[in-house]
Amino acid sequence: MNLEISTEVLRQIHRHGEAAYPEEGAGLLLGSDSGLACTVQAILDLPNTREDQARRTRYLLSAEDYLRGEAEADRLGLEVLGVFHSHPDHPNRPSEFDREWAWPNYSYIITSVWSGRAIESRAWRLTDDRQQFVEEPIAVRDLESNS
Amino acid sequence: MPTIKVPSPLRSYTNGQAEVLVQGATVAAAMDDFIAIYPSLQPHLFNGKGELRPFVNLFLNSQDVRHLQGLETPLAEDDRLMIVPSIAGGLEQVDHAALRTNQAFIIALSLLAFILNQPWLAAFVAGMMILGTILRVPAFGFMYWRIFRPLGWIAPEVLKDNPEPHRFAQGFGATVLAVGVAVLLAGANGLGWGLVWLVIGLAALNLLVGFCAGCAVYYWLSRLKAPGFVQAPPEDTFPGMRPKAKA
Repeated sequence: MNLEISTEVLRQIHRHGEAAYPEEGAGLLLGSDSGLACTVQAILDLPNTREDQARRTRYLLSAEDYLRGEAEADRLGLEVLGVFHSHPDHPNRPSEFDREWAWPNYSYIITSVWSGRAIESRAWRLTDDRQQFVEEPIAVRDLESNS
Repeated sequence: MPTIKVPSPLRSYTNGQAEVLVQGATVAAAMDDFIAIYPSLQPHLFNGKGELRPFVNLFLNSQDVRHLQGLETPLAEDDRLMIVPSIAGGLEQVDHAALRTNQAFIIALSLLAFILNQPWLAAFVAGMMILGTILRVPAFGFMYWRIFRPLGWIAPEVLKDNPEPHRFAQGFGATVLAVGVAVLLAGANGLGWGLVWLVIGLAALNLLVGFCAGCAVYYWLSRLKAPGFVQAPPEDTFPGMRPKAKA
C-alpha cells in the first residue's frame, strides 16, 4: 500500500526529528485509510518516556499516550495510521528492536537525522509473520493538512 | 460474556470487529478464547513462550491488569477488557569508544591512587562511577563526548549492543571500589587496595580483551529471570563479550 503525505506534514516530521536530536523523537501518524492508500493528514507529538540516556537510542510511547492519541484522532475524525520516529546519526532502516516491537498494519516512518539535520524519511510495514519490515513507498503530495 | 476491545492495528485479524465477546472467568481464559476464535492474532499478542508481549497492555475497566493480578485477574460477565498498544522502537546501540574512555580513566586514576597511596583519589573515582550509574552514563564518558570525539582524537565505535548491562557493570564496579575505599579508611590496607586492584583488573579486561564481567553477570541474572534484568545478549555474542556487529 502507498503512504500519501503532504509536503507540510513531512516537513513537520523532519522538524520534530531535528528538535529531538541527539535523542530520538517519536509520535503518531493520523490520517485516513481508503483501503487503497493511507493518507497522513496530521502528526501527534508525544513525549518520549524512555529515561535519560536511553532516549538517544530508544523511544517509548506508553499505553496512556496511545489512548490519548486515539482520542485525538477521533476528535479530528481521523485514524491512527502508524508511528514516526527518528534515527539520530543513523540510516532510516528499521532496527531489530524496531521489528521486535512493531505492530502489524501500521506504517512506520523513520527519519535519519545526521548532525541535527533531517535528511530523508522512509516508511516501513511489518509482515504478517512478524519476520521482516517491507518498505512502503511514500508519495509526497500537496494535500490539505489538518494541523 | 466479557468483551474484548480490539485496537485498530489488530482489526484486520478479527474481520474488522472492534469488540469481540469471549468466554472465560479470568483474563488468561478470555485471551485463550479470543486466540481460539482468531488464531492469526497469536504471534502479535504472545511471544514464543506464550507470554504476553511487552508492548501489549490489557486494561480491565481502564486499569492495567499488570497492576491487578496479571493474567490471573478474574473477569465478571459484563467486564470490558481493552487491548492497548504501547509503542516502542529505536536503535540498539552503544558507543564503545565512550565506554573505553571511561575504562581508561578508571584504570589510570585508580592506579595513580595506589601509587601515590591516596585513598581519596580512589574515593573520587568511586563517586564519579556512582554518579554515572545514577545518571545512566559512563562516568568519564563526558571526556569523550565533550573533548576527544569533537577533536577527532577518538573515533566513535557504535556497536549493536544493549546499554543496560554496561550501566549495571559500572554500578557493580562502583560498589566494589566504594567498599575498597571504606576498608582503606578503616585501616585494612591490604584488603582495601586488593579491592581497588580488582576494579582495575576488571576494567582492564574490558578495555584490552573486550570482556565485560559485569555485563556477563547481568546476562546471567537475566537468564535467571531476575526482575529488571530484561535484555538478552546481542546476536552471536558470548554474554559479556564485546559485540562484533556495527549498528
